[in-house]
Amino acid sequence: MEKPVFDFAMNSTRRHFLSRLSLGLGSAALGSLLVPDIFGKGGDEGGSGLIPGQPHFAPKAKRVIYLFQNGAPSQFELFDHKPLLNKMFGQDLPESVRGGQRLTGMTANQKNFPLAGSIFNFARYGASGAEISELLPYTSRIVDDICIIKSMHTDAINHDPALTFFQTGAQVGNRPSMGSWLSYGLGSENQNLPGFCVLLSRGLGNGQGVYSKLWTNGFLDSVHQGVQFSSGENPVLYLGDPEGMDRAERRRMLDKLAALNQGTYDEFGDPEIMAKIQQYEMAYRMQTAVPEVADMSKEPESVVKMYGPDCLVPGTYAANCLLARKLSEQGVRFVQLYHQGWDGHAALPKEIRGQCLDVDQASAALVTDLKQRGLLDETLVIWGGEFGRTNYCQGAFTQDNYGRDHHPRAFTIWMAGGGVKPGLVYGETDDFGYNIVSNPVHVHDLHATILNQLGLDHEKLTFKHQGRRYRLTDVSGKLVKGIIA
Amino acid sequence: MRRFFADWKGVLYNTAFFLNGLLVFFLVFEDRLVTPGWMYLVGRFHPLVLHFPLVVLLLFAGWVIVVEKPGSNRWHAGLADTLLLTGTLTAAVAALSGFVLSQEDGYEADAIFFHKWLGIGVSLGSLAWYAIPVRRTPWNFSAKAVAVVFILVTMAAGHLGGNLTHGNDFLIPAAGEKARVALEDAQVYRDLVQPVLQQKCYPCHNADKAKGGLQMHTRELLAKGGENGIPWDTTQADLGLLLRRVHLPANDKKHMPPRGKAQLTEDEVVLLTAWIKSGSGFDGKVSELPRESPLYSYAQAVLRTGSAEDMYAFKAADASRVAALNTNYRIVKPLAPESPALVVNFYNRAAFKNSDISDLLPVGDQVISMDLSKMPVGDEDLKTIARFSRLRKLLLNFTDIKGNTLSELKKLPFLKELALSGTAVTATHLKTLEEIPSLRDVYLWSTPLSADEFAHLKKSKKIRYESGFRSDTVVIALNAPTVENQEQILTGGTRIRLSHRIPGAEIRYNLDGTVPDSAVSAVYSGPIAISQNTKLVARAFRAGWLGSAPVERFFIKANYRADSVHLISPPDAKFKGKGGKTLSDGIRSITLPNSGDWLGYRDTDFQSDLFFRKPVKVSSVTLSMLQNLNRFIFPPARLEVWGGANPDSLALLKVIRPAMPKKMVPGNEDFLLEAGFEPRLLGCIRVIAKPVGKLPAWHPKKGEKGWVFVDEVIIN
Repeated sequence: MEKPVFDFAMNSTRRHFLSRLSLGLGSAALGSLLVPDIFGKGGDEGGSGLIPGQPHFAPKAKRVIYLFQNGAPSQFELFDHKPLLNKMFGQDLPESVRGGQRLTGMTANQKNFPLAGSIFNFARYGASGAEISELLPYTSRIVDDICIIKSMHTDAINHDPALTFFQTGAQVGNRPSMGSWLSYGLGSENQNLPGFCVLLSRGLGNGQGVYSKLWTNGFLDSVHQGVQFSSGENPVLYLGDPEGMDRAERRRMLDKLAALNQGTYDEFGDPEIMAKIQQYEMAYRMQTAVPEVADMSKEPESVVKMYGPDCLVPGTYAANCLLARKLSEQGVRFVQLYHQGWDGHAALPKEIRGQCLDVDQASAALVTDLKQRGLLDETLVIWGGEFGRTNYCQGAFTQDNYGRDHHPRAFTIWMAGGGVKPGLVYGETDDFGYNIVSNPVHVHDLHATILNQLGLDHEKLTFKHQGRRYRLTDVSGKLVKGIIA
Repeated sequence: MRRFFADWKGVLYNTAFFLNGLLVFFLVFEDRLVTPGWMYLVGRFHPLVLHFPLVVLLLFAGWVIVVEKPGSNRWHAGLADTLLLTGTLTAAVAALSGFVLSQEDGYEADAIFFHKWLGIGVSLGSLAWYAIPVRRTPWNFSAKAVAVVFILVTMAAGHLGGNLTHGNDFLIPAAGEKARVALEDAQVYRDLVQPVLQQKCYPCHNADKAKGGLQMHTRELLAKGGENGIPWDTTQADLGLLLRRVHLPANDKKHMPPRGKAQLTEDEVVLLTAWIKSGSGFDGKVSELPRESPLYSYAQAVLRTGSAEDMYAFKAADASRVAALNTNYRIVKPLAPESPALVVNFYNRAAFKNSDISDLLPVGDQVISMDLSKMPVGDEDLKTIARFSRLRKLLLNFTDIKGNTLSELKKLPFLKELALSGTAVTATHLKTLEEIPSLRDVYLWSTPLSADEFAHLKKSKKIRYESGFRSDTVVIALNAPTVENQEQILTGGTRIRLSHRIPGAEIRYNLDGTVPDSAVSAVYSGPIAISQNTKLVARAFRAGWLGSAPVERFFIKANYRADSVHLISPPDAKFKGKGGKTLSDGIRSITLPNSGDWLGYRDTDFQSDLFFRKPVKVSSVTLSMLQNLNRFIFPPARLEVWGGANPDSLALLKVIRPAMPKKMVPGNEDFLLEAGFEPRLLGCIRVIAKPVGKLPAWHPKKGEKGWVFVDEVIIN
């Protein structure tokens, strides 16, 4: 009776073993067809299932308008009301609050850190009862349309790294800007305008520079680079045909040029050549699309009153807000505004008053304008600076005059539309406004959330460069679910 | 002994072996697997195939249990062998197809977990049973024990599979149908926390089975905790026992839920954390939560009524057809990959033809949103638009719609948002909108509707009418006029030019430094000439607006501008301005030392020659200078003006020793320093300004050298 067992054992020869093994290998081989990256191949730029130009899932927002307040507006004068600072006006910041956290070189050697409460009054507005300063009368009327995040924090403490960090997700330069990532991830909506436009303006306050590295495409294809509109009468320079050349002539010239470029591309295969051909073609279509968008003369008086009369003066923040709305309405994926002059190290009350006059009405008008066109639900508007300002005074200190240094540990921004909960105040700082006590939102988290609203998974939007897959959120970023409607 | 491929059994056995190998491979690389479309077809066969192994294997296991000895009347070794082999093969096919099916979306990971592993267990187990010797002695007790276990595992796998298809309560119906709770009525504990505990914790912590002495199925017992103490403690950083155990590494012995049991999802951990943080109350209502609370977000996600309208359960249009409809001015895109819903945007009014809409009708059943804003779309086009029966959102802002045919839109059962801002629609036409069943939002900014008509519309309970910004009641101030001149020093016949951007704005100005009003001050009608140093103040006025803030500008009259300038002494490297031409460009720099437009001197005197091609009659030379006492920028200690026909024949014309400040004055200030003399004809003027050698005694840095800052030399 033991014989069959013995037989079996005896008859399992090496040949059988090998043929069994080959079956095993065969199944592995067939299986490997379905695991494309198993043998190290498939490391194409998209990675993890990304089809460039298509969202990962149904988006809530289609477009972004980022109203960047460059120089870092003080949260204490605008949104984060801290009566304790007024009560302790002039007293030293308790060491227990700061806890030895780093300061900038500008105040690190200061002997004391006198607390400075806002000299501006606050009141509660809207159904949400959000507190807004008297400096922002127009913003206070739209509180029920916006989501105020009081618990932003960032890694950088100086302007350039902080700004670069906000725009590219890294403090060092040359990573792709947020707008470039979106252009790469979602493609352009309107084929006749760039997918990523940049508009600059400056107020009279202490300013900080903005550089083209902030809207760079980094290692992405150069069609994703931000296009800076100039503040003059012609927002895009050299777009018009030179004298004596008509559109048909231009067309013939471009066709010839494209044929030449195509020939070079066939020979060398450099994708930058294809990008160049596309850019020439887009520029040709922009010749009609841009003047149509930039023409403010047809705007009705109600629009001028809504954005403020400055909106007809090219190069002002109000004009840029109006232009941003028109570009966004025409399908520009990402419009990036920068308004300079918020760096209130000294004479902050005077400077911030001027800055608020520049931006308050137009920012609020932009939200209202999108809303009344039925576009607010598909457009995400973001307002904020690169970090916040200290609760203590920098430099000369009097009852009605003070300055504030950089403060990256807690500051305020607001968002509107694009599937973000309206009428919400999210996050909280301590009574000194120094540290965050609830719902902190890191810059990476904000990036992840912005991408999510546009239908992109921030962990899947990658680009392989120099052997590494890069993301806007690097290796961090968590969705801020609390603000998503 | 049969050869492996020599008979049909060998073929079956080898196939089964191969399929199991494939299965194991898939399991190892599951998270990297990319299933191609056709594979899903294999998956769909799972419900068909799975019944074969179920029956056949149970038959075989039954035989093993009842069989006695070889040769007994229950001895059918050959048949049994065939049974097990067919069972093994079909089990492998079932497991593999089941695995593929599980890759499709729509199955809860928790629900599928045990079914999957049991199914795979059955497949591998039966293969092993066929391959290893124990099956050769089925009359042994060990073989019978294996058979019993096998029957239990197979039945369990089958039962769980049944649950997946038919629902948990298919076999043993729940006591009562649990109604879905509306968000407004939901309670935090009862409807959010308890269901999670019930699913993930109750199985081991209930009245019958209280692991660690902890029972969680009633509120009191849960709050009391088990033998290790109470489950939460908000005074601790990790919020107490329960969350500590949850956060332990998955392979830690004390990790909860234990290894192999269904784990808490990330959202569920967030939920429990937030609930415990909030004081672990049992009676709180969801509607009372702050909206930014994670509990509220969780409730929204879990309790949100699955609105059918956002599920696009219709067939997708042919992708190549969609692609063909895209032009530079019409973008047709799916809402998301795999989504059948299409979104359409139109651009460029000039390129638009009415047929651009009807061209889309072949994909008309898929279009859910259309943006025709600013296109020349008229009332008759609404008839075409009304044929896109699945439209949810329709934007017609600033089109040529008058509203006569709005009733056509009643054919759109899903239409939710309609934007008509900037069109000529009237209140009469809008009445018909109430009959569109799903319509919620209508945008009517910038239409001819009166405030009364809006007030009437806003009474609607069904539709929210957005009136937008109404400018007729808003009165705000105009912006100040623009002074076009960049230069503040007006030479020769240069005039002051003013402008304003808003059409119809009126500019009024005074030249005596007083603020103009809208009644008597001069109205600007063309460039203004000045004959002396002048402070201009201008404002803008317009009907319906408040007058603007004044704009002020100080203009300095200069008779001559030097034809060329030669800087004899170089300025300090940090304050080089734009070199010599800084002095004669007519532009006064802003009052900031580092504006880049100032020439600064400290270690050497400021010395410069100004040349005229033709000699001019000069009676005064004025320096435009900067003072910032904090930064040691002082008036010069001594100013000398020399003049002559050329640099070799200069005579000293004037020396000035300006008064020095007597105390600290903070901030930047610009000032003019004038040296007048008898008029004479000059071809060359040399200006020398000496910085203060020693700062005065009241200055914090007394005794140090001072600076002089110059940006313009004005010649009259």
